[in-house]
Amino acid sequence: MIKLKNVWKEYPLDGTVFTALKDINLTIKSGEFTSIMGPSGSGKSTLMHMVGLLDKPSKGEIFIDNKKISDVNDNQLSDLRNEYIGFVFQQFNLLNKLTILENVLLPTVYLRKKSNIDFQKRALELIDRFGLYEKRHSYPNKISGGQQQRVAIARALIMDPKLILADEPTGNLDSKTGKEIMKLLTELNEKEKRTIVIVTHDPSIAEQVERVVRIIDGQII
Amino acid sequence: MNYFAFIVKSALFNFSRSKGRTFLTSLGILIGVMAVVLLTAFGLGLKKYINDQFQSLGTNVIRIMPGKVLSGGSFNGSSIGSIRFDEKDVNNLKRIRNLESVAPIYTKSIAVDAGKKKEDATLYSTSAEIFNILNFNAQSGKIFDKTDVDKRNKIAVIGPKIADKLFGSGDLALGKNIKIDSQSFKVTGVLESKGGGGFGGPDLDALVFIPYKTGFVFNTDKKFFIITAKGKENISLDTVKQQIQTVLLKRYKEDEFSVLEQTEILKAVTSIFDVLNMVLVAIAAISLVVGGIGIMNIMYVTVTEKIKEIGIRRALGAKKNDILFQFLVEAVILSVFGGLLGLGLSFFIILLIQKIFPAYIDAQAVLLALGVSTLIGVVFGVFPAKQAADLSPIDAIRYE
Ligand SMILES: Nc1ncnc2c1ncn2[C@@H]1O[C@H](COP(=O)(O)OP(=O)(O)OP(=O)(O)O)[C@@H](O)[C@H]1O
Ligand SMILES: [Mg+2]
Repeated sequence: MIKLKNVWKEYPLDGTVFTALKDINLTIKSGEFTSIMGPSGSGKSTLMHMVGLLDKPSKGEIFIDNKKISDVNDNQLSDLRNEYIGFVFQQFNLLNKLTILENVLLPTVYLRKKSNIDFQKRALELIDRFGLYEKRHSYPNKISGGQQQRVAIARALIMDPKLILADEPTGNLDSKTGKEIMKLLTELNEKEKRTIVIVTHDPSIAEQVERVVRIIDGQII
Repeated sequence: MNYFAFIVKSALFNFSRSKGRTFLTSLGILIGVMAVVLLTAFGLGLKKYINDQFQSLGTNVIRIMPGKVLSGGSFNGSSIGSIRFDEKDVNNLKRIRNLESVAPIYTKSIAVDAGKKKEDATLYSTSAEIFNILNFNAQSGKIFDKTDVDKRNKIAVIGPKIADKLFGSGDLALGKNIKIDSQSFKVTGVLESKGGGGFGGPDLDALVFIPYKTGFVFNTDKKFFIITAKGKENISLDTVKQQIQTVLLKRYKEDEFSVLEQTEILKAVTSIFDVLNMVLVAIAAISLVVGGIGIMNIMYVTVTEKIKEIGIRRALGAKKNDILFQFLVEAVILSVFGGLLGLGLSFFIILLIQKIFPAYIDAQAVLLALGVSTLIGVVFGVFPAKQAADLSPIDAIRYE
């Protein structure tokens, strides 16, 4: 469903060029659970941002369902991020001024097409499923890190996206809570057949997933 | 929650978190709107006041004055001519059938002496017809008539203000003697109040009327500065003016006198106020621009503070225009908030001041204030908002 073909990412650095991604070729198939591993600074997040259509390659091409991303304008990219992709970040990235429920609903605000889905109901179901129903009107700074990450996952799921991208989703959590979050993501893949890509440092997590992509110095090995 | 509610909630949250900053930023707009609204209110009030005064004097009143007083709709003080009218002119004008009344006026500032008290007033030495022309009626006693004029009776009809100040009331004033320039007059009538007073021209309640023939002790040359006349009800003023013109041209040259309608004078006076007011409002508007710059400044700060949030929203599917709109709404709320406060405060001040100054505010001024503050929000908010919208999603989300 997503294909990166000869993708490079370069940044200007002190008059020279720093290459963050070097000639990446990667295909992610529908229903796959992929883990990206590598040392710090190797380019995992950069790669993730490419796949998530937040960043553009310096060279090379990204295809989504065989559609060239370079042919797509900014508004259409926003629509794809809105409906096709669900993001989960290491720092949770919830908005502190919105309640849990409003945070989960935030992506629906940017869906400017008519839809007969009852998002309110869906949001409450997701929140309930992740055991946060009591907290639905609380604000993010009033709940624990593990709870915040579950809100973030609920937010990633609200638009029912085909692809879930999680950049070190357990990086800011203790190992027990981290395991719970991993279990949740695994379930989403196994039961709901969602395509999932996660970035992780944790070798034990890598053992659980079907496919591991290793990256060092911007290159897949 | 819909799109708009989400955006407004975001903005309101920021304001509640930094109340001091919000208030200070709005203060600029508050002051600007207040300055504009108050000045407009004063201008409107003054205009309305003058208008009312003219209306109370009747609208089909014609004034005949020496020189070309009005040229091109505005006053031309330098060309007030040197001719003066006399009784012969008045008699000539009285032959015009379309005129209901004609009254010559000799006027001067005087001090009315009632023995114990003295009071400043304006003397009108004129004929009995003046009361019909200016719609004046007596509240006590009676107005003088043609016989009083012909007999040169030393009597006076005085305004209610003079009567109250000198004698306590209109009734008490009747029959009393007053002295004007050491000439003695008996008060035989006190006029009804015309209201108002104090702004733009003589106080209509502080006039002293004496028969003009008696008044020749003051204008010994028996000349008059003004002749007022009133046209008959259903005759057009233009026709009447034309006839007056023809009569006077037999004695005077065309540019030696002017025949003016009350409304022409009114227009000339109000046009002066309009220009003055426009200049003042334009100066006040500068403070609005300064307020707008304050908003722009604070919005740039807000955008910088929210780079991460912008990144998150873009990652979740917000388009450039969504971000632009969000910050624009925030700027407009800030500036309309200031505008509303300014408007409220202006209302309050106008209420307080209305006792001593005829200020008033109309729906147009309110709409203008709100419209202008919205516009300020948009104009000065659009640059920071555009900056926010043009951030690249990746730079925004990586921003710490
Ligand atoms: N905007 C940028 N300008 C210059 N260099 C950048 C920029 N963004 C990323 N880099 C560099 O690209 C490299 C890859 O960064 P990236 O964040 O992808 O690493 P990572 O594998 O996610 O590391 P970590 O495990 O610490 O999150 C790093 O060396 C980083 O400094
Ligand atoms: Mg990273």
